Amino acid sequence: MADREAVEQEERTSLAEELGVRIYIMGKEYRVPAGLTIMKAMEYAGYKFIRGAGCRAGFCGACGTVYRKEGEYKLRFAVACQKLVEDGMFLVQLPFAPAPRVSYDLEKLRPTENVLLKLYPELARCVACNTCTKACPQEIPVMDYIQAALRGDIKRVAELSFDCIQCGLCSMRCPADIKHYHVAQLARRLYGRYLAPKAEHLAQRVAEIEAGRFDEELDRLTRMGKEELSKLYEARQIEEGVGV
Amino acid sequence: MITSGYPDSMRELIALVEATRPERLKTSPPRMSAKEREEILREWHPDYKAGTKRPLSIGPSKGELVPHEVADLLEAYPLISPEEVDLSQIDYDVDVLIIGGGGAGTVAALWAYYEGIKPERILIATKLRWGDSNSIMAQGGIQAADRPEDSPAIHYLDIMGGGHYTNKPELVRALVTDGPMIIKWHESLGVMYDKNPDGSFVEKHGGGTSRMRMHSAKDYTGMEIMRALRDEARNIGIPVVEFAPAVELLMDDRGQVAGAILFNLETSQYLVVRAKATVLATGGFGRLHIQGFPTTNHYGATADGLVLAYRVGAKLRDMDAVQYHPTGVAYPEALVGQLVTEKVRGMGAMPVNRHGEAFVYPLEPRDVESAAFIRECYGRGNGVETPTGMRGVWLDSPMIEELHGPGTIKRELAAMWRMFNRFGIDMAKEPILVFPTLHYQNGGVEIDEHGWTGVPGLFAGGEVEGGVHGKNRLMGNSLLDYNVFGRRAGISAARHAKVAKLGKLSLEHIVAYSKMLAEAGINNDRKAPLLLPEYRGERALARSLKIRI
Amino acid sequence: MRIAYYPGCSLKALAANFDRSARAAMGALGVELVELERWNCCGTVSSLTTDDLMRQLAPVRNLIRAQEAGERRLVTACAMCYNTLKRAALRVEAHPEELAKINAFLDEEPDYRGGVRVLHLLELLRDEVGFEAVAKRVVRPLEGLRVAPYYGCLLLRPRGVGLDDPENPSILEELVRALGAEPVDSPLKGQCCGSYHTVAHKEVVARRAHKILSEAASRGAEALISSCPLCSFNLDNRQRLIRELDGSFAPLPVLYFTELMALAFGLEEALSPEGHYVDPRPFLEERQLLRR
Repeated sequence: MADREAVEQEERTSLAEELGVRIYIMGKEYRVPAGLTIMKAMEYAGYKFIRGAGCRAGFCGACGTVYRKEGEYKLRFAVACQKLVEDGMFLVQLPFAPAPRVSYDLEKLRPTENVLLKLYPELARCVACNTCTKACPQEIPVMDYIQAALRGDIKRVAELSFDCIQCGLCSMRCPADIKHYHVAQLARRLYGRYLAPKAEHLAQRVAEIEAGRFDEELDRLTRMGKEELSKLYEARQIEEGVGV
Repeated sequence: MITSGYPDSMRELIALVEATRPERLKTSPPRMSAKEREEILREWHPDYKAGTKRPLSIGPSKGELVPHEVADLLEAYPLISPEEVDLSQIDYDVDVLIIGGGGAGTVAALWAYYEGIKPERILIATKLRWGDSNSIMAQGGIQAADRPEDSPAIHYLDIMGGGHYTNKPELVRALVTDGPMIIKWHESLGVMYDKNPDGSFVEKHGGGTSRMRMHSAKDYTGMEIMRALRDEARNIGIPVVEFAPAVELLMDDRGQVAGAILFNLETSQYLVVRAKATVLATGGFGRLHIQGFPTTNHYGATADGLVLAYRVGAKLRDMDAVQYHPTGVAYPEALVGQLVTEKVRGMGAMPVNRHGEAFVYPLEPRDVESAAFIRECYGRGNGVETPTGMRGVWLDSPMIEELHGPGTIKRELAAMWRMFNRFGIDMAKEPILVFPTLHYQNGGVEIDEHGWTGVPGLFAGGEVEGGVHGKNRLMGNSLLDYNVFGRRAGISAARHAKVAKLGKLSLEHIVAYSKMLAEAGINNDRKAPLLLPEYRGERALARSLKIRI
Repeated sequence: MRIAYYPGCSLKALAANFDRSARAAMGALGVELVELERWNCCGTVSSLTTDDLMRQLAPVRNLIRAQEAGERRLVTACAMCYNTLKRAALRVEAHPEELAKINAFLDEEPDYRGGVRVLHLLELLRDEVGFEAVAKRVVRPLEGLRVAPYYGCLLLRPRGVGLDDPENPSILEELVRALGAEPVDSPLKGQCCGSYHTVAHKEVVARRAHKILSEAASRGAEALISSCPLCSFNLDNRQRLIRELDGSFAPLPVLYFTELMALAFGLEEALSPEGHYVDPRPFLEERQLLRR
């Protein structure tokens, strides 16, 4: 009897060691092993995601998470799939951001210095509190690109915001109700469409294809059997360049 | 448990990598010969492992070898029965239904619209959020033969060789011919590709390419394209219903596909969509974890489209070939299986074993490169072991900084740098540990060059379809694939919708399919599609009750 | 002389001609305006509520940027930015408890320690460069040109923030004289232009601008100068609406004072039609102050 108790005691101890991390999912305590991401820890605890999980690799912005650590007054922000759990984390996910975007016709817009402000006039409400930057799980200088938007610098908005995963946490924290990530999307498209120089070699190639310049060669290749093709393949010239 | 940076045991091995780096910067192992490539694939590629596949026992591709994990879903019973759903109550009546809200689906919607279908007559139904897809995760780039040194014909040859001549020629031809036009379309949509000051694209090599034709947008290429496509579709006002996967295709009494039954994941109610044309754009199967491999894929990559298409009589092809990306993360544990873009090797990082030795040409086609990594770890015992017992090889990322100057990684591989940095690893200074990870469904639903599946009313584009890549896809051809065939499927669906006449809606085909399953002696405890993988902890699952609330 | 320069948003967008002419004219006087590497909107219009500490974040953050760059002085051209930044700078020095609160909020920044002096270009001209030096640099004296200085609110009010006597300012007049032109006085030179009402109440602003412009014109002014992009917008662009309201109204060119300087310094390229509703060039060409 005593033996069994000892074994049970040992099991409990090793379990407590194994499940060494206390997390609070929307206030409710769970114990999970160390070394898991927030996403995997929630699954470990028994949550099956419908919302709040997307690419699971830090690219889609579906798992924006707000957390606070025990003893701290500050909120912190992360994407759940890219952040390890820490002891005493209070967690809630924000799987949707009700930040309205403005529809526009890119062909009719021009990259003028007031176009961003015209479509998103609330930009002018920015008080430079920088709360957006602090909320960004990608560590993008969000306030800086909003400031660039205010002064009509589309290129700078496009470049500074480029790594945005559009989780929307910035806009949910903004006291001025700015829709940062929508403004940034608009700026990037304006930049790509109007300000970035066009690729001449591309236009030329498209014209060649439309004129049927490669048709004959492709006709021949598509009719070729494996043997003939593999001869050509093995003999093909490899262009010198990066990676070779 | 170490949660930041490398443990000492791995740090010691990094010293060996650093020691050989100056020498390795000067020389690289040679490319393998055709014979060597064949041999290493046969001996070390997971596709060749015995006991991992079985022939399909029923259906249009009966007898074809597929991985057990795929067969289990194809040889499974429907989630719904015809008695449960009322087909007389139509929730959405549209011209074109697009199943899948990733790259292919969004491209199909845009081109159906350009082809003359009104936005409100299109519907995108998607299982997760619009854009949550493998498309948005693609990092390295998109191929298109648009430089004067290059041509669609050379691109064609690279693809056929990389796919071991198993590709469907007319699909490859469509891919290489449309490529430059697709990039031009993207340019007009404002996609911010990396460009030189004169406007020409910065183009690099990928595994198996003979010309530099990889267009990229830092290492957020997929995200940048997906963001712009989605934004454009939002401008046009194409309706989207999220968290509503298709659980079954609908047919009519004339044998045409006529829409789908959607399932609202949040309210558990079904929705009936009647559509004159349906485009399958459901993506691939990474979340089936073929042979237990970790995966780079998004949460919803569960092969639903294969199941749905197979039940209405579409053929599958090349499903025996699975793409393992050579460089999945092997350390830290929390990131295992996540993608390290091929662009890292494209920019000069070399695979290195535990002794600091280069052992393979860095840019072989993916299957060959993966096989070489597996051989190094499990055949030659030259892998690096992590504290959790996982094996991998080094990818010597600091070489990139040596070759292109300090700061290059943070600038051009921002996503990669950020990912490792979050876990205390600075890949500009330290090598990273990698091992092959399940990446792509090479095969899929067979289509013709118009994106038609051969079943009236059903079209497909993107990873769900097969034939474009044969048995092995090259880097940068999946982003191109979803654009080229998403577009072609969208256009074909629009044209079909303009002339199609629908009969009475029916789910008879799933009754017939279930009958076929029963006759083949297949037990009815297996259901499909899977919809979402199961990742809940064993401890939690062991105590779960099926109480309806 | 090199001095830290805060251009402000307007000078990067609709008032780019103000920025261009300021850099050119000051450069000609040997003053290099060194733009802060990073800056944000000044905060614009000071709010009328008493609890407006949040509104001080933007200006104080800019003062931190200057402090970070090791600067003790920060010069602006825009009257609005000048007013906002200077008020904030003076306020936090007078109220250390408010500064402490702001610093606590801006916890990602180094504390603002005070001591950055906010200057307007006009002050720099008057107090350091000197109007004699300005006069010496003139290569094309604006002889006979009658120019009405317009101060508006922000250069003058409130007392203590303004750079001149709010009742009887003379700094712009002195500049005009130094450039060889003749200042035209107007009782409305310190009247508000209508400010942001221009967004919601265009007509109210147009009527006000009408008064200000007509008063100056009736006293013989051929052009008006300002130091504020918003004043300039209201006085210049609203002339379209003024013409609709009063068909007999004759257009009056509105220039930034820096443009007038550039003109007298022979820096014609700094004077462009962009940024103006009433193009000043035909009239200046006619007066042979600008080459055709």
